[in-house]
Amino acid sequence: MKLTRTVLGSIVVAVSVAAPAFAALGGDATSVQLDLARMKGALRTTSTARFTVHEITTSYGTVVREYLTPADKVFAVSWHGPVIPDLRQMLGRYYGQYEQAASAPHPGGHRHLAIERPGLVLQSGGRMRAFYGRAWAPDLLPQNFSLSDIN
Amino acid sequence: MRKSVAPALALIQLGFLAACGGGGYGRGTTTPPPPTQMIATPGPPNVETLTVDAGPTGGVNTAFVSVQICVPGTMTCQTIDHIEVDTGSTGLRILADVPFTLTLPQATNGSGGPPMTECLQFADGSSYGSLRVADITLPGSGEHAANVVVQLIGDSTYPVPTGTITGQSACPGIAENSVQAFGANGILGVGPFAQDCGGGCAAPNPPLAGVYYNCASPSTCVDANASLTEQVANPVSMFTTDNNGVIVELPAVGAAGITTVSGSLVFGIGTRTNNALGMATVLPEDPNSGFITATYKGIAYAAGYIDSGSNGNFFTDSSLTQCTTATGFYCPASTMSESATLQGTTATMLAADFSVANAETLFSNASYTAFSNLAGTIPNPPPPPQAQPFDLGLPFFYGQNVFTAIEGNTVSGTMGPFFAY
Repeated sequence: MKLTRTVLGSIVVAVSVAAPAFAALGGDATSVQLDLARMKGALRTTSTARFTVHEITTSYGTVVREYLTPADKVFAVSWHGPVIPDLRQMLGRYYGQYEQAASAPHPGGHRHLAIERPGLVLQSGGRMRAFYGRAWAPDLLPQNFSLSDIN
Repeated sequence: MRKSVAPALALIQLGFLAACGGGGYGRGTTTPPPPTQMIATPGPPNVETLTVDAGPTGGVNTAFVSVQICVPGTMTCQTIDHIEVDTGSTGLRILADVPFTLTLPQATNGSGGPPMTECLQFADGSSYGSLRVADITLPGSGEHAANVVVQLIGDSTYPVPTGTITGQSACPGIAENSVQAFGANGILGVGPFAQDCGGGCAAPNPPLAGVYYNCASPSTCVDANASLTEQVANPVSMFTTDNNGVIVELPAVGAAGITTVSGSLVFGIGTRTNNALGMATVLPEDPNSGFITATYKGIAYAAGYIDSGSNGNFFTDSSLTQCTTATGFYCPASTMSESATLQGTTATMLAADFSVANAETLFSNASYTAFSNLAGTIPNPPPPPQAQPFDLGLPFFYGQNVFTAIEGNTVSGTMGPFFAY
């Protein structure tokens, strides 16, 4: 059964003043709320038996999704829209791995990036006005989870 | 080779062939020979030499020109080589550590307003720097644009925003603020749009995060809106003539690849005898996104585009083996022939034929920089109804002239933005 609720961004914007900017991959639902506040977005939550998706539509049109295990851990994130969200915030403690891998020479030029590390997989693509991407922590994935569900 | 699958257009082409006397196309002949590609000779007034080589950092499938940049209204100029030609972005951007030695006036947000900076986002990182005003000349053709807003990437006066002060969003991702990290001395964005961000950056409240900034001081830049005239501009739009688009003309490249390729970047479409649309088929783009639809193996990808700034053809095909060391590229055991059908906002459809070779085999010849059969994966795209990408990159340009018309211009009765080949 699907469960959907919508929270207006404006309600939680006030929280952002005091909220430290921490997020997402590897974090818990608290980090989703912090992201929501920081992105000044609207939240839609969808739950299945195996995972929960928090979808934040930012004021600037980028859609960010954060995937949580039943144990409340963010195991994947995705984004699509006119601008890329703040990846330092989205990737949390995984940002260092991303930074190291993405700084190395990579064959895809400016339009495509694919990173595969033991602890982090990240795929990013697009061009000005239209970006998309996703990242996940392989060791946090729920059992029998299909990667095609990260979209 | 390409073929048109629009019935109306096919009739027009047949009529044209008949009018020309038909040559060898006798009754019963259904397939004309491949069109002979004509590459314009570089020189005045509108043709620039375009070169594919390793560039400053050893890349593949990257096309470069030289650009002369001058302090506005003066003869104080610097010519920079190896500026990447990108039909998938908009605006001239130069890397400060080329080194760029001119002092260009700072672009401000409105007359007397604060100096502006920009975070230019790419899929693999972002480039940050101040906005400056320059006169631009393409040295081979002499095409000229005055008082153009450009970006000086890696301008050491301005620390990269980290989002730690009120009103400031971070410039996200890995910094590409040096020639080494960027892979070119600069980039000449000659894509379908007249400005880089467009209306989306002009008036939203709050401003778009991590794009334009107003800087009361270099370390206190905050998110800002930018009107169309304040944004980084497509230099071609600001030429006095030949300002409605470009043609990328690169010769064919054989199956194994080649060390270097020389061709032409032609300015203007249908403005002179050397830049007529001719037999090219026009695919009008969505005016907001610049996308066309690509149908490949029965799946319609709504975010299709043709882009000289992509160094491969990038698309989703689970039947193609992916490389193990060249992450993100395809490595089929034998070269595959593929075809997509492209469609713009009209009924006209156009076949896009390309082949996919083993990328690791191609890359094994380290001196080669141009490959017509290099292809890679797309990160798992969003599901419908969101746009799914299909990216025909520089490999698609070899052996056929590709037209990119800028928004707001009408060429041969079609309003830009459009692609044609």
